Amino acid sequence: MRSRRAQLTIAIVALLLGFLSIVQLRAQAGGVGLANLTSQDLTTLIANLNQRNGQLSAEVDTLRTQARDLQQARSLGVSAVGGLREDLASIRLWAGLDPVTGRGVTVDCTGPMSADAANDLINELRLAGAEALAIDGVRVVASTVVAGPPGALSVENVALGSSFQVSAIGNSINLTAALTRVGGIVSQLQVTSPNVQLAVSPENSLVLPATDRSLIPADARPRL
Amino acid sequence: MKGLIARARRVPSWQLTLAAALLVLGFLMVAQAGAQPSLVQYTTQERPPLVATATELQQQQDDLKAQILALRAQIEQLEASSAGNSALVTSLNDQLEQARLAAGFIDLQGPGVVVQLEDSTQPIPPGAAPGDYLVSSSDIRAVVDELWLDGAEAIAVNGERITATSGMTDIGSSILLNGAYLQPPYQIVAIGPRDLYTRMTTSASFAQYVKARVEGFGIRLGAGSLDKAVVPAYAGGVALTYARALPASPSPATSPGVAP
Repeated sequence: MRSRRAQLTIAIVALLLGFLSIVQLRAQAGGVGLANLTSQDLTTLIANLNQRNGQLSAEVDTLRTQARDLQQARSLGVSAVGGLREDLASIRLWAGLDPVTGRGVTVDCTGPMSADAANDLINELRLAGAEALAIDGVRVVASTVVAGPPGALSVENVALGSSFQVSAIGNSINLTAALTRVGGIVSQLQVTSPNVQLAVSPENSLVLPATDRSLIPADARPRL
Repeated sequence: MKGLIARARRVPSWQLTLAAALLVLGFLMVAQAGAQPSLVQYTTQERPPLVATATELQQQQDDLKAQILALRAQIEQLEASSAGNSALVTSLNDQLEQARLAAGFIDLQGPGVVVQLEDSTQPIPPGAAPGDYLVSSSDIRAVVDELWLDGAEAIAVNGERITATSGMTDIGSSILLNGAYLQPPYQIVAIGPRDLYTRMTTSASFAQYVKARVEGFGIRLGAGSLDKAVVPAYAGGVALTYARALPASPSPATSPGVAP
């Protein structure tokens, strides 16, 4: 009798325990980060998410059309070679495997710029929507990093002189605004490294080369 | 002492189990009570709708990414089995496979490294900037750049693949990467040469980083070598609005990158 009561008590406690554990886990997993954001940060986040979701949703539409065209070609027994070529061209262009042209900005960097500052500049341009980038004629891909001591920088084993040029294809107004805004990278560098000058100028037609890298992984394999 | 043990032996085992369970229960209740204040913070009028909107948009983003990955897989299958001159179709599919690998559209696995970064738990001295004790996007970029320089072939942060157009920025005490909102702990996974971990840990720039951030501010960094690191595919858009192929491009580029 006593052991049955004991079992009952333990069962109830275990039930409570389980319930509380789940509540606790949920509380930790759900929105802890969001709860820590200020209203201003939340507004910025919402703007960013909205913009990104718009791009993703446009991509979904493009891919749906592409899939439908391929399906149609197959059911009609028509060659899809044209579609395949187009797809190949657009992936290669985006990945940096082909040269690319378009309008955008150039940033002339002079003075003993640090590698960190150069990488910050590339990051700022990417954030502002740059579609393709090059540093002194070296195409920037995912793994491109500027390295070396100030004044002796290099990128992909190409030495950069005391001055070098970063080219970015994209909306020149957005790109310029991102760099020259109050508290942006240009004004930051003016304070931290007064010897370094960045000159941003819009360009109507830039031509960036393809990357020299193969980009085909040697150590990594497709996950099956 | 002996008497105590003897007395403890006389206590029925169910009572011990119950005591242990109650102990955990008490602990959880206190933890739960401690977690409450973060929820009580939503007292101002504007916050709850903002949090709800952001949460909803995040869910929408996850859903769109899943759709993109599924559609890409479907297109890959359709392309592989498409009609036409079979030699040409095979050749184009081979080239597509290579281009997808290069662009980061394919899940990869291989030997690699994982680096975990978390905010400092050190007490912040008076006059110091609290932000210095948090992991920022600069911290993550420093580690990512280090891994690229050490020969990494593919990198993801909390499952977000780094591509040629990936920018990173801070938002509150968290970060945005590829337009996705990431929270600590940050896990940077890289695939590369077998000695990637050794290359990283013996590099002068990494030692400098550890000295500045880990020793300087107590940023918590953990790193390990992985036999089978997994870096997921990029689940984002590749539409180009401003960039086009060169008119006389040597590649089979027949049409410019048309944006929606």
